[in-house]
Amino acid sequence: MNLLNPFFLLGGLALSIPVLIHLVRKEKTEIIPFSSLMFLLRVPKSSIRQQKIKNLLLMALRLLLLALLVGAFARPYFTQTETPVAATSNNRAIVLLLDNSYSMRYGDTFSKLTAEANKRVDALGAGDRMAIIAFNDNAELLTSPTGDKAALKAALSTLEPSYGGTRFYEAFTLADRAFTQMGATEKQLIMVSDFQRSGWNRSSHESVIGTEVKTETVNLSVENPSNVGIDSVSVEPTSFTRTYAGRVIARIHNHRRDQPVTVPVSLALNTKEIERKSATVPANSTALVEFTGFDLPLGYSKGRVRIEAKDPLDVDNDFLFTLDRREKLKILVVDSGKPRQSLYLQQVYSSALELPFEMKRIPVEQLTPEELGNHNVIILNDVPRLSDRARDRLNELRKTGQGQLVLLSGSADVGWWNAFTAMPVKVTQKIIVNKDRGKFSFALTTYDRNHAIFKSFEKSSTMTIGTAQFFSYVETEAKKGASVLAKFENGSPALIESATDDRGLLVMTSGIDGISNDLPLKPAFLPLFHEFVHYLTRYSESRGWYALGEAVPVIGTIESQAAAVINPNGDRTSLGDLSSGIAKFFTPTQPGYHEVRVGRDVKIVAVNPPSVEGNLAPMPPEDLLASVKRLQGEAQQAGLMTDDAKADYARRQTGWWYLLLFALLAGIAEIYLANRSYSRS
Amino acid sequence: MSTPVVETPRNRFIDPKVLVKIQNMELVARTVVEGFVSGLHRSPYLGFSVDFAEYRDYTPGDDLRRIDWNVYSRMDKLVIKLFEGETNTKDLILLDVSGSMNYGSGPVTKFDYARILAACLSYFAYHQRDGVGLVTFDTTVRDYIPSARRAGQLPNILHVIDRATPSKETEFKKPLRHLAEILKRRGVVVVISDFYDEPANIMAGLKQLKAKGNDIIVFHIMDDFELTFPFSENAQFEDLETRKKLHVIPEYLRKHYLNILSDHLKQLSAEMAANRIDYTLINTTKPLDQALFNYLAARSRTV
Repeated sequence: MNLLNPFFLLGGLALSIPVLIHLVRKEKTEIIPFSSLMFLLRVPKSSIRQQKIKNLLLMALRLLLLALLVGAFARPYFTQTETPVAATSNNRAIVLLLDNSYSMRYGDTFSKLTAEANKRVDALGAGDRMAIIAFNDNAELLTSPTGDKAALKAALSTLEPSYGGTRFYEAFTLADRAFTQMGATEKQLIMVSDFQRSGWNRSSHESVIGTEVKTETVNLSVENPSNVGIDSVSVEPTSFTRTYAGRVIARIHNHRRDQPVTVPVSLALNTKEIERKSATVPANSTALVEFTGFDLPLGYSKGRVRIEAKDPLDVDNDFLFTLDRREKLKILVVDSGKPRQSLYLQQVYSSALELPFEMKRIPVEQLTPEELGNHNVIILNDVPRLSDRARDRLNELRKTGQGQLVLLSGSADVGWWNAFTAMPVKVTQKIIVNKDRGKFSFALTTYDRNHAIFKSFEKSSTMTIGTAQFFSYVETEAKKGASVLAKFENGSPALIESATDDRGLLVMTSGIDGISNDLPLKPAFLPLFHEFVHYLTRYSESRGWYALGEAVPVIGTIESQAAAVINPNGDRTSLGDLSSGIAKFFTPTQPGYHEVRVGRDVKIVAVNPPSVEGNLAPMPPEDLLASVKRLQGEAQQAGLMTDDAKADYARRQTGWWYLLLFALLAGIAEIYLANRSYSRS
Repeated sequence: MSTPVVETPRNRFIDPKVLVKIQNMELVARTVVEGFVSGLHRSPYLGFSVDFAEYRDYTPGDDLRRIDWNVYSRMDKLVIKLFEGETNTKDLILLDVSGSMNYGSGPVTKFDYARILAACLSYFAYHQRDGVGLVTFDTTVRDYIPSARRAGQLPNILHVIDRATPSKETEFKKPLRHLAEILKRRGVVVVISDFYDEPANIMAGLKQLKAKGNDIIVFHIMDDFELTFPFSENAQFEDLETRKKLHVIPEYLRKHYLNILSDHLKQLSAEMAANRIDYTLINTTKPLDQALFNYLAARSRTV
């Protein structure tokens, strides 16, 4: 119920006036000495009480009269009724919203939900139609509006608790759409849920349902739920060492508000338990449990952190993740054999043991075509020229996915390199900036910020590439199809990538020898050269786990290959052919380990249900309904109200009329009583 | 002694409102009684007389002074002249000094009226050569001056009346039983009270005195407001005896109160009549003559 003129309620203060007068008069009662109360005390009590009651009745009538007048002037109108479904009314449209998020798996909550839903179906009257919507993260119409109880019950029997989270917005949106289709005069929305507060996201779109829709809620929330769950597990998903150097940190949440719990926590890898610990989690708080230093086999390992919590919600006691142990990336640096020529590159790739690189340096004279094939990345560091066989081998290896970086500098044989057709550039001349350009140095001022190599420099202020000074470089012209990724300040290309049909060759037009430029002395040097290798090897870090509903990318390899996803039940979903560098996405619908196959590559993806569902704290259903925006239905907005709707609209505003009528009756009763009382006295 | 007030035809007997302003109790009594008696055209100084009863033969030992020598001279026979017994009575005035007597809607409280009445009766009786005594009582006997006709008796009585102050509750059974035990000679017992007790208790006490052969005169003193209950405003009524308070809405209680009071008075009147007790209900706004008439009527019966 709402009020058109709520300010009139201030008139309710007038109600205090008779009461105050009564109290004031009572306080000032005179004391009269009298010889004896002997006879007064013999007056029958009932008579006194009767008079008191009569007085109170009179006062109550006057208060009622005032209250009714105040209420009438405030103009109440009814927006909805909370009356449950009556089996007698006809031609009603009912939408039953059933929450099947995974929090409904708590104890017997879901069976209560199905029982309630069946009850509602049974209560359908002749002519009523019902649509059933199951909602979690998404809302799904289980049955289109029908009055067929058998069909409705059949739909209900298929309903299972999902692993999804809760989003009320989706449910209201679909319900509103269903009501639009049903178009009955009387509409009722029944929502059966545990009303988790986490399902109500203030920032989400405002839910809207029509003003004419009567709402009813069935609250299945549990008082002080006892639940312990794993909120998340933090892992470093890619390892290059046999002994896992990262840390697996499980964040365990005790949702109980009254007492702490102690739970055993275990880590299993490929179904084998590795370690077991115990964690004490304070009430309504979290605790971290850390695992590290275990052995990891090559390839993907299925990890699982489990807590042995005896609570009615079991789903959040498990948390899945994957760890991917890979071989180190093999890099071959070929130089012209000058001492210290590749010193900086050596520093870049082998300065620390945990780096995912394994570098080998050989002078160009010793380079054999076979040697080239043993590495993921070849770096040609200011090599004057290569043998023809080596050049051809490089061309072949690029097609198999090998990455190649050519650093052109003072030693380069310009004629030979220009004859190398795969090169994305044509060398024009070698430039010593001071001598040829009349400047002390050039800076690398322009680079493609959207390119994968430079992504990590985009937001960093300390690792700016622009601070490096280039004293000499090789002036080049980019060939057709090649991409210039970075330029010097005079516009000359600094970093060029081969065309997409011969991907995998990068050319840098300055050497890393400490003389051509001071780049190796800059903080950006090391990450930049790591990024070169990552890019050339198509290195990608896998995610440790995905949340249910999140899109999982599947990226194509070198060749166009068929991609498919096999879900935990063994069902295979084809993603079609996936060409090189193209990503497709799939959205898992159930938690567990998913196998992603691209050609012969197999990747394991761990999917967990949304941990926020473990927090069962409810919100009052009234608050949820209050947050729903009530708009008039489309027909009403367009001024196309039916006669019935108009009558109903008017009827809901006639409350003031009744209040005035009651006020009149109260006034008559007051006059009668007061007259009787005064005439007696 | 006469005063202009007494001579006013409208105030054949003096107005209690004026009397209450006179501090001297003897003066009050004299003012009233002499005015009253003059109105009756009877002298208050007649005193008592002895009436001849019979003759009897002289027997040795009789007082020679009582031989009627006139008879001896005529009949030569010694006879003794006998008289009827003493005609003066013993009056005892019982004055209720309970707290309820202190009520008065006007300037005269019931107690003021009662003690003027008591003083008047004492004065009247004393000067009629009757023995007079006084008892003040509430729940028990407060003061007791036995009936006597000796010099100083009246001032004693008036002094006790003067200093009496009403305070406690009323009870009839106990003090009257006590009196019945100590009274040896029958006489006139005047009870002045507002009788705020159960009729059964009152009668129980009075019957004990009656049983001793006393002639009992009852003056029931009531204030005009007690008899009419003219209150209109809601108020807390405070009991002068018990100090209890009661919230009273007079407009609703008046009818019930007057009914109950009327029943009480009727019952008292009927029971007293049944026991041959003179009962007079006196409104304190009325003059005292009615009381004195009643007394005289009762005394004449005794004499």
